[in-house]
Amino acid sequence: MTPENGGFMVAAYVVAAVILTGYTVSLVIRIRRERRR
Amino acid sequence: MTLRDRATRIARAGTVVTAVALLGVAGVYVRALAFTPVEVAQGEAQKIFYIHVPAAWAGLMAFFITGLLSILYLWLKDQRIDIAAAASAEVGVAFSVVILTTGPIWGKPIWGAWWTWDARLTFTLFTFLLFVGYLVLRGVLTDPGIRGRFSAVIGIMALVLVPFVHLTVYLFRTQHPAPIVLKPSRPSLPSEMLITLLTSVGVFTVLYVGFLMLRYALGLLREAREQELANDS
Amino acid sequence: MSTLRAAWHIAVKDIAIEWRTKTAFASGLVFAVLVLAVLFFSRDPTEVSSLAIAPGALWVTFTFAAMLGLNRAFLLEREMRAMDGILLTPAPRAAIFWGKFGANLAFVGAIEAISLPLFVLFYNVPIWPRLTELLLVIAMATVAFVAVGTLLSAMVVRTRYAELMLPLLLLPFLVPPLVGGVQLTASLLDGRHLSDISGWLKLIGAFDVASVTLAAVLFQVVLDE
Repeated sequence: MTPENGGFMVAAYVVAAVILTGYTVSLVIRIRRERRR
Repeated sequence: MTLRDRATRIARAGTVVTAVALLGVAGVYVRALAFTPVEVAQGEAQKIFYIHVPAAWAGLMAFFITGLLSILYLWLKDQRIDIAAAASAEVGVAFSVVILTTGPIWGKPIWGAWWTWDARLTFTLFTFLLFVGYLVLRGVLTDPGIRGRFSAVIGIMALVLVPFVHLTVYLFRTQHPAPIVLKPSRPSLPSEMLITLLTSVGVFTVLYVGFLMLRYALGLLREAREQELANDS
Repeated sequence: MSTLRAAWHIAVKDIAIEWRTKTAFASGLVFAVLVLAVLFFSRDPTEVSSLAIAPGALWVTFTFAAMLGLNRAFLLEREMRAMDGILLTPAPRAAIFWGKFGANLAFVGAIEAISLPLFVLFYNVPIWPRLTELLLVIAMATVAFVAVGTLLSAMVVRTRYAELMLPLLLLPFLVPPLVGGVQLTASLLDGRHLSDISGWLKLIGAFDVASVTLAAVLFQVVLDE
């Protein structure tokens, strides 16, 4: 019987997306700040 | 071309590469979630695999490149190589966070526990800690020459000694196997799953390159400012 | 001056400096007793035999001892001005590493030598049948601890947060000899022979070769001005 664990899948995909976009934003912000100096 | 100009160019190019890669990640998400079959024995949670494994690949690549650049730096003494090595380390830490979060979320339904000290995840934990230490050390060293040399030393030590950490965990696991709730078999993947996986690995590789370019550009911009300050005084 | 003789002089000097104050040595011993005692009491004796936690307790104690010993590097800081003096002498650079390495080995070894009988006393473990093998395991793992630790403490002593940076950087590298040491100790106390459990021994041996070589070579990079 295929187990019902879709919730975990969603959680992992969301977490990964948050981390990757978060890091992208962090890079872009830091570069902008540095270029303004 | 001044350092600042070069840095700005790399930042622009890096932004494009990263944007393309993120679109690719979105595409992988769609393909994995909607167009790849569900594994019967493990359920939908198995699909975490399509994010977790490529992230692990990217993280490993990042650390390996930091190690190689460390050797190159000690040989050529070019400041930019040090900046690139540090950039790769930071990007590696970012991917490691993905690995260390998706891993337990995958582990709980499949292995029954959030953390089972399995070889790959434990190895990632230790490389993560090492590279956080690397970045912390860089943070407290102000002289660029010393910072470069000492970072390179850590990078090379990691390159040579971390395989032993992997062996240690592997040896431990063969003696004391982890309990398995569902038994994920390892036959060859059906082609649709394999294509999704390989596409994801490719996309994450491009993402690594994009992140590296952006972080490298940031490092160059900071270096440019240091030089400008030094010239003014 | 030959490398060996210069190294010897440096080692003797370091040991002599430590011997005068004995602060780190004394702290190391107190730590050893405390760690052994706390771990002994932190279990349900009806569920967990002292033999079961003994290997872990021993190696945690040794790890703390090694880090305290390596924190002696603070002496290096005062010496860092003195380091310039050493660098001006005809002593070969490599000798500085081997001298420091030797002094640290002696220091950590001394703490281990006193911790081990305490361990046997507190945990009531049957080490006599496997004593030589156990000593070999301890020696091999300690070499790794001290090699990596000497290199890292030389780097870390320049920073303001040396006491935090050293464990942060050192511990991940110590995983192979530490885990190997615990596993081998557990097997030995169980009555097995080293020849049966050679996997871990080979791992520590290979790690020793890699870490000592690497530390010796990279130490020059750290010293470079």
